[in-house]
Amino acid sequence: MAHKPHYAFVIDVARCIDCRACQVACSVENQVPLEHTRIWVQDLGLLGEFPALKRSFVPYNCMHCEKPPCTEVCVAAATYKDPATGLVLVDQEACIGCGFCVDACPYNARYLDQRRGVVDKCNACQQRLERGQQPACVATCLGGSRLFGDLNDPTSAAAQALKNAKSIVRLDYEVNGHDTGPNIFYINLPEEAAQSGFLYMPTDDRQPLVSQPGELPREPQYSLAEVGWKKVLAPLLFAGIGASFFVQAVFFTKQLIEGEKEFEE
Amino acid sequence: MSSHKNIPPEERRRLYRKTYKKHNLANILTHWFNVFMWLLLLPTGVAVLSSPRLGLSPVWLQELYRNLFGSTANLIQFHYTLGLIWIFVLTFNVLLGFRKYFVPFAITRLLLDRDDIEWFKIKPLQMLGFHKDRELPPQDAYNAGQKAYMYVVILGTIGIMLSGIVMTFKTFFPPLLKQFAQPVHWVSVFTIVAGLIIHVYMGAVFPEEKEAFFSMFSGKVSAWYARAHHEKWYNEKLKEELEWEDQVTAEYLESIKEGALTTSPE
Repeated sequence: MAHKPHYAFVIDVARCIDCRACQVACSVENQVPLEHTRIWVQDLGLLGEFPALKRSFVPYNCMHCEKPPCTEVCVAAATYKDPATGLVLVDQEACIGCGFCVDACPYNARYLDQRRGVVDKCNACQQRLERGQQPACVATCLGGSRLFGDLNDPTSAAAQALKNAKSIVRLDYEVNGHDTGPNIFYINLPEEAAQSGFLYMPTDDRQPLVSQPGELPREPQYSLAEVGWKKVLAPLLFAGIGASFFVQAVFFTKQLIEGEKEFEE
Repeated sequence: MSSHKNIPPEERRRLYRKTYKKHNLANILTHWFNVFMWLLLLPTGVAVLSSPRLGLSPVWLQELYRNLFGSTANLIQFHYTLGLIWIFVLTFNVLLGFRKYFVPFAITRLLLDRDDIEWFKIKPLQMLGFHKDRELPPQDAYNAGQKAYMYVVILGTIGIMLSGIVMTFKTFFPPLLKQFAQPVHWVSVFTIVAGLIIHVYMGAVFPEEKEAFFSMFSGKVSAWYARAHHEKWYNEKLKEELEWEDQVTAEYLESIKEGALTTSPE
């Protein structure tokens, strides 16, 4: 069956209780060093007016973007968008841990593990997916807030939840015609969360919407070694190589036309 | 005018038959080792370079080599393993032969002098078709262009080695160093490649330099070639030869005299 999966996280914000079991499960499953984490929960704080107060929590991890800015800066394609699953992965045997992608990610979803000299991030627990299991954070989520699945398969829990959602929010980063197209779908966000800067979408419109620039996503940053002057240097080098090739081509053509004389060394 | 074009045919024939040693075995072996390593390292290195923002390498080449090696990690591991061998052997050779080969080489063959400056003023114009009648100044064992390229290669090689080491030992070096090692690496490589095209053409294809190519195997060039292309070096060789002849003659005369003395009583 020619079925191309579209893996995505669907996160029911209304069901998150900020227990952070997902964070622990992720760190244990993926042996994340203590000082780092692949996923986190943002506390939006107290929302609304007394006495109708509410609290809301937004779990984060890698958005597995459709057009990830991080893979474009990797000089060796050590981080890439897996063509089979659409997940954004890091080949840690190829990665040298320069951190270009860490700066470029608009969602701060990557960290540099200097002890191993590599960049690490959420890989949707590939090792578990291959055995047909859910990612650790999803499997452990107490409130059933985190869901993961193939959106192209209408029977999957994620697709079902998305279908029945009261509201859907994606944290798009869109600038200069470049849309990251994140694959975390936040659903059922409380109305009060809108005031916190986290974008809120009315119930009647189910189409994902581009968020306003807030705290996250941030603008991708490019290191001095990655940006600017290489746009000058690379063409300059190409011009040098081109000129060099041109010169030898001219002389070689001349040589072919004139022929070689035996007694002229 | 000391042009080699004024030499009569008889003399030319004699010069053709005579050879001078231009390269020692250490240089020849190091050169071909370097060639072999570059043939493996350059394509794999270019295939590694795959950032679309950089756009330095064609996608088909990236995919070809990644498929050939199985994965990105394998390709990179091959590249840096070979690179480390390359670094080790070249450093080892330079250190081991530092007094015997490197220092004399640097002093007698690498330094630019006034004739070389003059060469730079004339040769580029001649290649563009001007001043065809002007005489080039006499050159050392390497001409000014070769010397200039040698500086590029030495500096570039050091740049490639240091940045390569930084990127290979990724747990040891800080991220900022690893970031800047990348442009240093490819800028050094492509600067050398720009000259390499001319180097290969001049060395292996260009008819007037045919002897230079074979000298990279035998180490020897004909006296005619030396006279025509590297006159200053030829004169030096000639001087050495004459000195040697004088010395041998003196020794011979000495031995005859001694012989005459020892044999005279009988």
